[in-house]
Amino acid sequence: MSLWVDKHRPRVLDDLHYHAGLSARLRALAASGDFPHMLFYGPSGAGKKTRIACTLRELFGKGAEKLKIDQRVFMTPARRKLDVNVVQSNYHIEITPSEVGNYDRVVIQELLKEIAQTQQVDLSAKQRFKVVIINEADSLSRDAQAALRRTMEKYMSNMRIILCTNSTSKLIAPIKSRCLLVRVAAPTTEEMIDVLRHVGRKEGFDVPDKIAHEITEDANGNMRKAVLVLEALKMQSTDLDKPLTIAKPDWETYCHKVGDMIIQEQSPARVMEVRAKLYELLSHCIPPTIVLKTIAERVVQQVDESLKAEIMHWAAIYEVRMRIGNKKIYHLEAWVVKVMSLYKHLFYDINMTDFDD
Amino acid sequence: MATTDSLIFGLPTGLLVSSAEDPGDVPETTFGPSLLLVEPLSSAQDVLDSMMDYDATEPSQSTDGISNLGSGLRRVHLTPETTTTRSAEADDVFVSTGLLSQTGSSDATFPQGTYDSNISQSQDLPDVSDLLRPYAANASTSSGAASFSTNIIRGTSFDGGNVFLKRKSRRQAQMPAMVSGIMVDHAAMLSCTPGKSTVDSASGATNFSKLLDVPIHRLLDQLSLEAATRIAREDSHRVDVTRHPQPGPSTDTSLWVDRYRPKRFTDLLGDDRVHREVMSWVKEWDHCVFGRRQGRKRPRGEEGENLDEWRRPKEKLLLLSGPPGLGKTTLAHIVAQHAGYSVFEINASDARSAQVVEERLKPALESGSTVGSKKPTLVVIDEIDGATGGTDNSSGFIQKLIQLTYDKPRKKGKKADPKAPRPLLRPIICICNDLFASSLTKLRVHTRVVRFSRPNDIQLVRRLREICETEGLKAESRALTTLVGVAQGDLRGCLNTLQMFKAHGREVTEPVVRTATAGMKETEASYMSVLQDLFSPMARKRVKDLGLNEEEEARYVDRLSHAIEGSGAMDKIAQGCFEHYANLHRHDANFSRYLKAEEWLTVYDVMAGEMRSEREYALMQYLPYMLVPFYPLFQERGGPKIERPKADWENYQATKTNEEIYQSLARCLRSAATRHCGDYRHLASDQILQLELAPLLNRIISPPLKPVNRQIIRPGEKAVLSRLVDLMVALELRFFQEKMEDGQLTYRLDPPVDVFVTYDGKRAADIAVSKYAVRHLVAAEIDARLASLQADNIEKSKPNKSNFFKRRTHLDEANEEDVDNINGKLVSAGSQPDFVANKRTRIDKGDITDKVAVDFFGRPILPSAGPAKQPSTVKPENQNHVSYRFNEGNSAAVRKPIKVGSFL
Repeated sequence: MSLWVDKHRPRVLDDLHYHAGLSARLRALAASGDFPHMLFYGPSGAGKKTRIACTLRELFGKGAEKLKIDQRVFMTPARRKLDVNVVQSNYHIEITPSEVGNYDRVVIQELLKEIAQTQQVDLSAKQRFKVVIINEADSLSRDAQAALRRTMEKYMSNMRIILCTNSTSKLIAPIKSRCLLVRVAAPTTEEMIDVLRHVGRKEGFDVPDKIAHEITEDANGNMRKAVLVLEALKMQSTDLDKPLTIAKPDWETYCHKVGDMIIQEQSPARVMEVRAKLYELLSHCIPPTIVLKTIAERVVQQVDESLKAEIMHWAAIYEVRMRIGNKKIYHLEAWVVKVMSLYKHLFYDINMTDFDD
Repeated sequence: MATTDSLIFGLPTGLLVSSAEDPGDVPETTFGPSLLLVEPLSSAQDVLDSMMDYDATEPSQSTDGISNLGSGLRRVHLTPETTTTRSAEADDVFVSTGLLSQTGSSDATFPQGTYDSNISQSQDLPDVSDLLRPYAANASTSSGAASFSTNIIRGTSFDGGNVFLKRKSRRQAQMPAMVSGIMVDHAAMLSCTPGKSTVDSASGATNFSKLLDVPIHRLLDQLSLEAATRIAREDSHRVDVTRHPQPGPSTDTSLWVDRYRPKRFTDLLGDDRVHREVMSWVKEWDHCVFGRRQGRKRPRGEEGENLDEWRRPKEKLLLLSGPPGLGKTTLAHIVAQHAGYSVFEINASDARSAQVVEERLKPALESGSTVGSKKPTLVVIDEIDGATGGTDNSSGFIQKLIQLTYDKPRKKGKKADPKAPRPLLRPIICICNDLFASSLTKLRVHTRVVRFSRPNDIQLVRRLREICETEGLKAESRALTTLVGVAQGDLRGCLNTLQMFKAHGREVTEPVVRTATAGMKETEASYMSVLQDLFSPMARKRVKDLGLNEEEEARYVDRLSHAIEGSGAMDKIAQGCFEHYANLHRHDANFSRYLKAEEWLTVYDVMAGEMRSEREYALMQYLPYMLVPFYPLFQERGGPKIERPKADWENYQATKTNEEIYQSLARCLRSAATRHCGDYRHLASDQILQLELAPLLNRIISPPLKPVNRQIIRPGEKAVLSRLVDLMVALELRFFQEKMEDGQLTYRLDPPVDVFVTYDGKRAADIAVSKYAVRHLVAAEIDARLASLQADNIEKSKPNKSNFFKRRTHLDEANEEDVDNINGKLVSAGSQPDFVANKRTRIDKGDITDKVAVDFFGRPILPSAGPAKQPSTVKPENQNHVSYRFNEGNSAAVRKPIKVGSFL
């Protein structure tokens, strides 16, 4: 038994609900016999992986869906053992190198060489090459990307690479130029409502318009989230016609609470309270950049027009610093103090810089 | 006879005991207390005193003691005439002692008793043994006591008079040494007043001539007076001869630290209690190491209470901790020496890995004594806080050490097994600077901890002054006080500084001390004290100690940046600053100071991060300056006390725990993916897991079910329940029953994914906390589902694998392409394997019913519900038959007895 997200995930290109043009193109590519390296990019929950899976199916037939998941052990030069989860079928292999952090180069090198140097054994296979899918390619380290670029050319006869990433900004140019870039945009509201209805129909109930709209609005173009929310709602109350509130993820609610606290009061004591909340968020493994972004969005909604730009500006600055630094909490709090200070200045409507010593 | 003797000898003996032990001989006399007079101030003499009961006998053949004495006197008298130099004088004196002891080992026997000057003399006169030879030969042949002369020993009394001692045959071996002890003392007494010695002996001789004229009490008075004046003179000179074996040799190149290292227990500076504590711990080992004898000699009240079966103290290790330069190592060595051990030391210069424990420590401990010494071993592990390995890995040095203390000995009756660990039977003293070093966390629990504190300044200054005087270094006492203040009690540092002055030929004045000690000790501060410095102005006393004026005091950048850099824990200091600054009282209306502080902190972090990731360690030197601004921004006198930064650590711990839960959830998802042909795999990546799945999954698995009997559940809810159970089974989420502290039963979710909807200890408001009864219901359902799954698997496993596989996956058509032609045929019958499978399911069922009944005491309804439902789920199994497929060329067949009937 699977979650609806998986249960109703389209498995062939024809079943895809949106981006019909893209589907047609992928089909054409798969049929051409000259399949290039590809780079799928687009926001989270837009359907990149679904499209990749469908393309594979198109390329290799049903055999590509017979998956085997196992753990491979790699050795770093310093004899450290790395465990990597590998999903593979007879025709492709799927890895997430970011699992091993800084050692991803080792994994990329060893795995790719191994695959590239073995020919397709199955003589009845439709294609002569194997496909390597690399998830979260934007978190590949620079070394790993460099290791990738030559391999991509050298073993073209045996192997195709499909990269999957949220943004291409962190990929080095040589990689981008070797791939066919495919952008998978987030679905529109109508498309999402379509999908939700489809899911509802398959599960034997109707999704009321109101609920569908609310879910879509909340999901903000994230199809996976929308379906998960729908399922959660359905589990929570069998009758969807009743007035319902869409549950936000808890960390988001909590971030909003922090934003409100910053607006309510600006004092040293409040700084400490906010710090405790920030620590709580971080200890729940919510990425600090997301925390900063969510709080900033919340704060911006409530402050005066003149402050909005500045608050976002500082949020951006501190996010950059946070990425470079180690202690995320310093930067988060620095931003909080900055916002408090800005807000106070505005509130009292005097230029307090003269009072500074 | 005894009284006459005493008169004849002119000895100030208060009591002369005649012993009837040896009636055939002349009565033996004892003159113990005489030495008390000579050495009235030296407490250490007590020991010597107790050994003084040797026999002094008048030669048995001489009926007239006086004549004999006369010759002796003459001899003494003659000496100064023939030899006028001091050395010759000493020579003479020494002959008389040497006659008895012939030895340099006398200091070993009487470590406290001998004047150290004696040693120097013996060094001055290496050819003494030549002089002794005739006497020595004499003494060595005297074993048989054939002639009276060999049985008599001639010595010199403290006044230079001859004494004739009769050897007691029983103690022949010991006596010479003992006597020499006295004699040595006499010699020392004479020699320590060199100017007077000739006169003394001469006058002594004259005195002796009319010895009988002077009443004994006057002689006593005179002697005590002499001793008193001598001591007074010594005191006034403050020349501490006793402590310093080599006074004055300015050409000596040895470090003063070594030269003036305390040689005995009473010389140690600092807190006596600490010294005694260490000593008593070592003494607790006596019973174990030396056996019964020592224990009886010094019976202690609580003996046995603190000791275990091998008579060892409860804590097998002693941990001395304290700042450097206070004499921890010296204390350990001296205590060991006093207690009769020989020291085996391991310090930072040796390799300290787990191997060392095996290869060096153990042999040293087990052999009981080091090579070439009869004394048992005491192990001193110096600078243990720097030991490698730490405590975290099991093979570390410290781990091994702890393990050593737990090793049990072989059982008595068993055969000797050389591999079996033997118990630790020797004391081990560990020495460290930082008691709270992370590598010592585990060790601390197993040791008796003795903490060193800074000795009294007055004591230190006095010792320094003594040394200065001995070395002929002019020193102002103010300068010495300053030096001690700056060095913060580090005696070693003080001595080194003083020696440097001496080498440069400078006098010790205050300005000189100031310039020389600039920067001294600044590098030793712990990060907590640095934090303290950052947030509060310098203490007045410290300012005075360093002799800073206002302007210098106001300059802080250099001072603080050095301190921060020196502490070696910049990240901790940064963390401390971060955690502390918002606690301060100073009003900050517009957050300007906070802004600045945060700015510095973020810059610090960015720089530190960059430094680490790019390995640009040249940046390190700039880092301290990022933290210095906290001083001008936040310093205030009497602010709230700084606490050890801990929020970060707590956060780290919490994050680790939650990360682990995420990981176990991800594992569940992946294993679910293998079973559901890759369905869940996309959800297992970090961001999706944390941001989307974790909160929503919690909502999905907690539908608002009513706790009712499962037979009367409405169909709608039934569907929800069955879906919930399916999901939980697929994701390997379980409810486990647990007992709370108050005895109440609860069901805990495992893995505990509900922490992700719990912030600040509160669950999200929109998720109803499912009640106990609901969870019970769900848990029972899950168990039932699992059992039926298991039964299915058993049923379908071997004979019909391909079929099973096909049904489990969603690839019916695809499989038909791939799967080989099925050559076998399906045969059905009520055959044996089928029966077995059925039986097994029934057993499973039985288990469930039992379990439910036990679990559910208060509610008798449900147990009946469980099995009532069961048959319907199991029933179809009866229709499954033995199937058999023949694979051509496949030899992996399973042989099984089956009746022909089952194929028909």
